[in-house]
Amino acid sequence: MLIEFTLNHKPVAVEAPPNITLLTLLRDYLNLTGAKEGCAVGECGACSVIMDGRLVNSCLVLAPQAGGSEIVTIEGIRGPDGGPNDMQENFITYGAVQCGICIPGMVVAGEALLMHTPNPTRPEIRTALAGNLCRCTGYQQIVDAIEATARGRQVDK
Amino acid sequence: MTELTYIGKPARRVDALEKVLGTAKYIADRKLPGMLHAHCLRSDVPHATIKRLDVSPALKVPGVRGVITSEDYFEHGLYGFPVKDKYMLAYQKVRYVGEAIAAVAADTPEAALAGVRAIICELEPLPGIFDMEQSLDPGAPQIGPDRPDDKHPNFLDKLIVRKGDPLAEWAQCPVKLEERYTVGPQEHAYIEPEGVLAVPTREGGVVVYAPNQSPFVNHGTLALVLDLPHNLVRVIQPPVGGSFGGKDDVIYESSAQAAKLALVTGKPVRMVFSREESLIASYKRDPMHMRIWLGADADGTLRACKFDGLMDSGAYASESPFTAWRASIHAMGAYRYAACDVDITAVYTNNGYYGAFRGFGNTEVCSGIEQAIDEMAYKVGMDPLEFRLKNCLRVGDETAHGQTLTESVGLTDCINTVRRLSDWDRKRAEYATRNTQHAMPGTAGHAVRRGIGVAALYHGTSLGAEGHDYAGSTIAVEQNNSVDITSGLTDYGTGSRTVFTLIAAEELGVRPERIHMQRPDTDTAVESGPTVASRATMLGGNAMRVAAMNLRQTLDYAAADLLGCELHQLLRHGEDYVGPSEEPVAWEKVADHARAMGLALSAQGKWTAPRINWDHHAGRGTPYMAYHFAAQVAEVAVDMGTGNVQVVGFWAAHDPGKVIFPQGAYGQLYGGIAQGLGYALMEQMTFSNGYLQETNFESYLIPTSVDVPELVGTFVEAPFSHGPYGAKNIAEPSMVPTAPAILNAIYHATGKRVRDLPANLERVLLGKDLTKGGSAKACKLGLKTA
Repeated sequence: MLIEFTLNHKPVAVEAPPNITLLTLLRDYLNLTGAKEGCAVGECGACSVIMDGRLVNSCLVLAPQAGGSEIVTIEGIRGPDGGPNDMQENFITYGAVQCGICIPGMVVAGEALLMHTPNPTRPEIRTALAGNLCRCTGYQQIVDAIEATARGRQVDK
Repeated sequence: MTELTYIGKPARRVDALEKVLGTAKYIADRKLPGMLHAHCLRSDVPHATIKRLDVSPALKVPGVRGVITSEDYFEHGLYGFPVKDKYMLAYQKVRYVGEAIAAVAADTPEAALAGVRAIICELEPLPGIFDMEQSLDPGAPQIGPDRPDDKHPNFLDKLIVRKGDPLAEWAQCPVKLEERYTVGPQEHAYIEPEGVLAVPTREGGVVVYAPNQSPFVNHGTLALVLDLPHNLVRVIQPPVGGSFGGKDDVIYESSAQAAKLALVTGKPVRMVFSREESLIASYKRDPMHMRIWLGADADGTLRACKFDGLMDSGAYASESPFTAWRASIHAMGAYRYAACDVDITAVYTNNGYYGAFRGFGNTEVCSGIEQAIDEMAYKVGMDPLEFRLKNCLRVGDETAHGQTLTESVGLTDCINTVRRLSDWDRKRAEYATRNTQHAMPGTAGHAVRRGIGVAALYHGTSLGAEGHDYAGSTIAVEQNNSVDITSGLTDYGTGSRTVFTLIAAEELGVRPERIHMQRPDTDTAVESGPTVASRATMLGGNAMRVAAMNLRQTLDYAAADLLGCELHQLLRHGEDYVGPSEEPVAWEKVADHARAMGLALSAQGKWTAPRINWDHHAGRGTPYMAYHFAAQVAEVAVDMGTGNVQVVGFWAAHDPGKVIFPQGAYGQLYGGIAQGLGYALMEQMTFSNGYLQETNFESYLIPTSVDVPELVGTFVEAPFSHGPYGAKNIAEPSMVPTAPAILNAIYHATGKRVRDLPANLERVLLGKDLTKGGSAKACKLGLKTA
């Protein structure tokens, strides 16, 4: 079936079977491999994307459900020059990255949080990340990076 | 020491950018034209004879291009170090649920799965051993390989430490403890499941992209089982999505399977595990039963320690003999004793198989001994932190093994630091008073109790007496004057690529941005042994330092020639060279001049650890050249109505020697603590008659961002003279003392000891396990789907 939606601010139309997940659609049909499959049951958050302004596990969304929606993946999160944005820069500066497999999901989750809660407390950041597992970092520097990004964006306002 | 420019200063992880952008290509992200997908037929019984294995029906399935079994390997694919007891695909017998029997390559994952289902495989079940305590019973079914001696075939190894006669000493002690502790298995739970991509070459060889820790070990193993000369096998490590000790043996197997299928079919072959397959088929941290005797004088002076450990190796040896050795060396903790015996015995069972995992035996024994030490402190009526300070190792002390510590022992500093940071003395007093008001659970009033606990640690650096301890590096100035470096030791998220980059920058006197740390590749890097035992910074760092110093000599020589001065007259200003005339010359000009002089702008470095000795029969000697020391304090809130434990505060002071890459070192520390927290409270793996019950993250729970509290970490840097710039290690030791610190805090809160890990709700609330039963269902389902 033809699935049409907005992907990273651009319209896409892709022919795909109706019984695949949004994650498979992104990775195997659109070659966007930033979202990862870590568990395929919606527990780890490595496949996180933003769908109509909400953080979702793309492994739990059927591809046809994406039809007509607006999807943002890690590939759509960039600074004005096409390089890393402030969130991604802060992940590097604060040492939030180790093996990196969860990091696209973490950046996406951080952006989804700041869309609705521009100035979150640290407990609010932790709650927002509770669906994204990281086995390397203990989360501390990821929380630091998101907190610094929120502060930076408040100053820039 | 002269002022350092890059070492110990804030730095950017060299591979962070591609990871934050989502452009880093892990194995599952890599596709090649014509690539086939591979899938394994795995055993769904814990112990059986393979009566019949006919793969020909699979070859008739549309899309299937190749099927292999143990018959396709040299010596049936027998491999393993230090014990060769496992096959790349099962030969004659299977010994655990999830063991690979055959592998299929097909055009699509679905066709590969259909091929697996078409294989005719008749398994005749054998009785199994599911309780390690029964493994050495005279009539126990044989799981381990045949032995040349008269020992039980299920006996794998026994490692000992001997000092004096601890039971005689113990009998004379006025304060005695004799107690049992257990730890369960733990899954690495790297968020990237296992995967491999193998590409056949025109020369008849194979290139394997493998997210393993130790590509050179994989390389040697592949050459052996594929019966290929080493030059026709190449292993390249792509970004690795977490490992923690877990991506060696299991990845060697997947590599051998994908590589053979690539050779058979002439096409690239990729094999990627599902989470279920990862949990069922991969090795885990060993469970251990511990029995500990401690004796002390009434004033709190420790005198005797006897430690008996029984360790499950599961169906195969994997790294267990080495794990058992590290466990034996660390079992008594970082304390002085008049007499001390340790016995760690490893046995075979049919409960999956166990191998390397962060801490490597010390994580297990530290959970036991640090609770026992805590219990002794209460028995002698001392503050647990004071008790540790009174007995812990200092410079000049002799360890239980007979090694005199001459330098780099930061333990007392670590203990005093966490005492201050955690506000230990005030909280100990305050919580003790508050909690004793309601001694029994379920009483009205305070439904939540607070407690604070401590654990101390020492952890031997690098391989120690496990093996020959060396590493090699290369460095070269490229035509564009960038600097390429390699190491035979790899970075699977640990940060060692950045550590090596900073060391090369420091020694060469160039900016880190000029340096490009290449991906590990067995064709370009120098063999350096396995990347294990938190040895990359020390061994690989020293090797990189030597390589960079060698190259620097060449550049200095060229600079002196260019500036018309003597070597000792050269100064550096940033990257520039400055001679007596004080005119700065750009580094590039010096490199150009060196080329014009015909000098080679490349160098190698090798570093071998100082010789140490360990007598395995006497249980005496010098096991490691140096030790990492640490103390951690946990504060918990225990819900007395549910048994739920929330860690509400955590403080860690570690002595890793000199810190080279601070963000990376803190990241290792915090991440280790989180893994230790999971080990302490929630990470439960249950084998029911050999069948794993937890086959995905909905049942195997690892800590989330709301389970881990704000972490306070600090480094007490006691430099080690043989480490690069004084560095030792951080990766493993960061998690080792976490679980006992939390367990000790739970006792402080509730007045009840939980001596079995993990301290789940029922153990905290009721003091015992609830009988839940188990089934083969989750495993069988997990193995049926791709």
